[in-house]
Amino acid sequence: MAEPFTITEHTNLALATIMARKGVDPAAIEAALADTQLIPTGPGTWLAVSYCDPPPYPGEGRGPVPTPDLDPGLRRDTLKDLASVSDQSGGYIVYRFSGPAARTLLQRGAFIDLHPSVFGPGSSAVTVIAHIGVILWQADDDTSFDVALFRSFAGSFRHWVEASANAHDRHPDESRDPWDPQV
Amino acid sequence: MSRLPTGGLIDRTKPLAFSFDGKRYTGFAGDTLASALLANDIRLVARSFKYHRPRGILTAGSEEPNALVTIGRGAHAEPNTRATTLPLFDGLEASSQNRWPSLDHDLLSINGILSPLFVAGFYYKTFMWPAALWEKLYEPLIRRAAGLGALSMEPDPAEYDADHGFCDLLVVGAGPAGLAAALAAGRAGQRVLLVDEDVRPGGRLLAERHEIDGNSALDWVDATIAELASLPNVRILSRTILFGAYDGGTYGAVENGRRLWKIVARRAILATGAIERPLVFAGNDIPGVMTASAVQAYATRWGVAPGKRIAIFTTSDSGLKVAADLAAIGIEPVTVIDARDGMLVTRAIGGKALKAIELSDGRRIAVDTLAMAGGWNPSVGLGCNLGARPNWSEAIGAYLLDSPPGGMIMAGAAAGAFGLGAAIASGIEAAGGGMPVPATSEDPSGSRPLWHVPHSRGKAFVDYQHDVTDKDVALAAREGFTSVEHMKRYTTLGMATDQGKTGQVNGNALLAIATGKTMSEAGTILSRPPYLPVSIGVLAGHHRGEHFKPVRHTSGHAWALENGATFVDTGQWKRAQWFARPGERDWLETVSREVTATRTGVGICDVSTLGKIDVHGPDASTLLDRLYVNIFSTLPVGRARYGLMLREDGFVMDDGTTTRFAEDRFYVTTTTVNAARIMQHIDFARQVLWPELDVQATSVTEQWATYAIAGPRSRALLAKLLPDLDLSNEALPYMGAMEFHWQGVTARIFRLSFSGEMAFELAVPAHHGDRLIRALFEAGRVLGVAPYGTEALGVMRIEKGHPAGNELNGQTTATDLGMGRMLSRKKDFIGRVMAARPALVNPARPTLVGIHPVDPARRLRAGGHLLAKGAAPVAANDQGHVTSVCYSPTLGHWIGLALLANGPARHGERIIVHDPIRDGDTEVEVVNPVFVDPEGVRVRG
Repeated sequence: MAEPFTITEHTNLALATIMARKGVDPAAIEAALADTQLIPTGPGTWLAVSYCDPPPYPGEGRGPVPTPDLDPGLRRDTLKDLASVSDQSGGYIVYRFSGPAARTLLQRGAFIDLHPSVFGPGSSAVTVIAHIGVILWQADDDTSFDVALFRSFAGSFRHWVEASANAHDRHPDESRDPWDPQV
Repeated sequence: MSRLPTGGLIDRTKPLAFSFDGKRYTGFAGDTLASALLANDIRLVARSFKYHRPRGILTAGSEEPNALVTIGRGAHAEPNTRATTLPLFDGLEASSQNRWPSLDHDLLSINGILSPLFVAGFYYKTFMWPAALWEKLYEPLIRRAAGLGALSMEPDPAEYDADHGFCDLLVVGAGPAGLAAALAAGRAGQRVLLVDEDVRPGGRLLAERHEIDGNSALDWVDATIAELASLPNVRILSRTILFGAYDGGTYGAVENGRRLWKIVARRAILATGAIERPLVFAGNDIPGVMTASAVQAYATRWGVAPGKRIAIFTTSDSGLKVAADLAAIGIEPVTVIDARDGMLVTRAIGGKALKAIELSDGRRIAVDTLAMAGGWNPSVGLGCNLGARPNWSEAIGAYLLDSPPGGMIMAGAAAGAFGLGAAIASGIEAAGGGMPVPATSEDPSGSRPLWHVPHSRGKAFVDYQHDVTDKDVALAAREGFTSVEHMKRYTTLGMATDQGKTGQVNGNALLAIATGKTMSEAGTILSRPPYLPVSIGVLAGHHRGEHFKPVRHTSGHAWALENGATFVDTGQWKRAQWFARPGERDWLETVSREVTATRTGVGICDVSTLGKIDVHGPDASTLLDRLYVNIFSTLPVGRARYGLMLREDGFVMDDGTTTRFAEDRFYVTTTTVNAARIMQHIDFARQVLWPELDVQATSVTEQWATYAIAGPRSRALLAKLLPDLDLSNEALPYMGAMEFHWQGVTARIFRLSFSGEMAFELAVPAHHGDRLIRALFEAGRVLGVAPYGTEALGVMRIEKGHPAGNELNGQTTATDLGMGRMLSRKKDFIGRVMAARPALVNPARPTLVGIHPVDPARRLRAGGHLLAKGAAPVAANDQGHVTSVCYSPTLGHWIGLALLANGPARHGERIIVHDPIRDGDTEVEVVNPVFVDPEGVRVRG
């Protein structure tokens, strides 16, 4: 790719699948989780994404080790009678694609329209890249995307990234390993 | 050299060295391989498919039937590359195909002399008897003799990838119509994707001399490209072949032969141009006979004089334009024969090169090049992909697509607008207008089809690539193949890699003549994708070899790899099969050691691949009661229960344990192989069968890394790892479960056992799984802990008589598996009614039993069929089969599980395992399927 991009693994995310209880207005759930990013993944279903820095919610996050005396059911208590909650902090691995070429690279994998006029900040999609299910959303800026996939597929996903980024039209300036996080 | 001193779109300051059949030549940047070959006076480039006739370059485009070469060598070789569209590059190595020993002296050209044997349908007629020789002798011989380039049979070193395009308007073809359409739409702000197969946009404007707005048409092309490039809403893909149109506005394309594009377009304009028809007369395939547009292109675009003495044989105004263009360049044709004036070329004379032509008035003229202008066929192929049928237009003498599929518009020559001004206007109109049509120089496009030159003696080719002649088409008609589809299949006309781009319409016309039909009545074929050949490699992309499909690794994978695991594929998962140690002779020794270590000490197995589903909500227990044959609403919080699910038809679907962590929170596990299916089953049940239930379900298979710690010392190991946790029978009894924290991480421990030993399953979020497996082995080191893989897991479950995949085969009932008593009578559940069908409750059904050989030294084999002693080994006497076997290190001999008619009533009976293809018959004793610890004392520790 002629333009640079970087890929880093998020290591400070707490994730959960939130599913609305029967008849609950999604707005009520969004209100109860006002501080949490909610990626819609289906009718009444979201992937909740929290940055747990400092300490994550209820002992289910990663990165800084949470204190064990935090109530593991805290988040569930918040949503009691509103939604079912399943911790997915370990279930998904989330990669951040950044840089001017990030959109180009992801478009090579995803058969959905990622043009900025269609897929901008706040957009998200549940789709497939290289036969691997992904949840894809754009971060706040124009050139950053997060891609969540089931953790066991990480190796095959990285192979897709390498195969696509190293494709035949690779620019000579871009010999750098794309997996090197840019500090 | 035939290179003109000036002119053309080549860069004479950039010479490029290349070779053809080992000889070195030089071309220039901007050349194709074909133009460079012609510039070097190479006119014989190939041998034909069937008769091995000498062939030259016929065209200057992707419709080329003759000039197919192999590029590169060894693994890098690309056979069947069209020389006419391959951009020349420095160091290019090309070689001819389908000749032996050389292009110049091809011994198989004897096929041409034997040609009476090789008429249409020859292989049905000549090689009929004896039939046994067909596969062994005839077919291999024919395939060797009649062929194209050869595959290297080595792995393809090329890298392929994929991309996806979305646009308001897809424009296919960057000729005058396509460029105008793209510009009009681009100026209007539409998202435009312009796809063109050439390395350079411009289409025929690159190859003909025209004026637009008073200047050279090339200036208009350059200005248009520059403006398109400046528009952010327009993207141009050059050297990209759009190979197919599919449902929903989806198109397939290949860029540079390496990148597969899937394109979704709201609308598409097919400005795909037209292909010039060759004329059908004797010797029309001799090297030096070319289409007129090709002669014009080589002279104009590439600055090559295709010959020193050029004649033009035309039926159209475009042929006269070629004469004028050649004259303007300074290569005046020797003669122009216009069939519309009554003069015809009746024969071309020559062998490996054209020497002369004979005319209908008897004259013979010495020429080295004959340009055939037989009229134009609009390229409507892509428009037919979705079933739209071309109609014959008497007005233009060609097939047109009057009713292209929705969202598709034909423009330019593809729509029959042959004149330059008309083509540009039609492109603008197709794009919605809004742009003035520029003034163009005159471009008359009159023509009168000439399908066949009468009284022409010798081979006159219709389909060059498949060596189909006018006589073959006539023969097909005589033998009853009077529809175009039958004629195509009988003669193979249009079935070569060029898909009849130059020959199909001529063939249709000859068939119409032979059958006395009009062109309309004769009809034509529908074109299917791909429009041009697409390599399998580009379709596969990087999904080949070990990357054919995604693989799944557990979080304990790295640890297992470091510790010598051999892995087995379980669906997409890689699971550790066993962990061999130095000095072990074979897998059996390894597996037996793992079993013994677990049964006598402690072993650890990664069971993370089991399916896991959170079923939450006030009605979760109601749903589970309906999914499982047994009751879960009574399950206390903090306890797990084994459950069995049936399909609607009453047969067993899956099994697993389900744990209740709260009144409204259940954690369901499934077998590894059925994880996705059970998730679907649960979603179907809660969304479709019982939408009134307030219950939610989500897969958490990937969330939990789970390790089974089994064996009499398992509790001791966990006490070291989790010193603060009370793991006594009182705190965590058999089938109990707890949530707790391990090193600040949420963790779960289950007192479950698949091995029959006292055992625990310990789970943490998967991103901590690697840390946990290392901590477990560190804690267990002094206890002699051993890892065990799926084979040892299998041995221990057979020793315990637990059904698994081989028994849960979709054909067994709960009763067959010895679990009939689990079927609750107090509630309804999926499969209950159908499970009560008479055939499913027949006690004579094969039912789970254990078997062991009467001679303890004998080995058992799974798959053997069960016979009563003394019964003849015939299907009528079949009483069941062996499902699973293993060597039991605990018992010191082979054991097996089997499904045996009336099984439970026959414990103690001796029967025969009949295995005619392996060990013959083995006498076995029927026993309780639970071989080890049948009372279940050990699990309770």
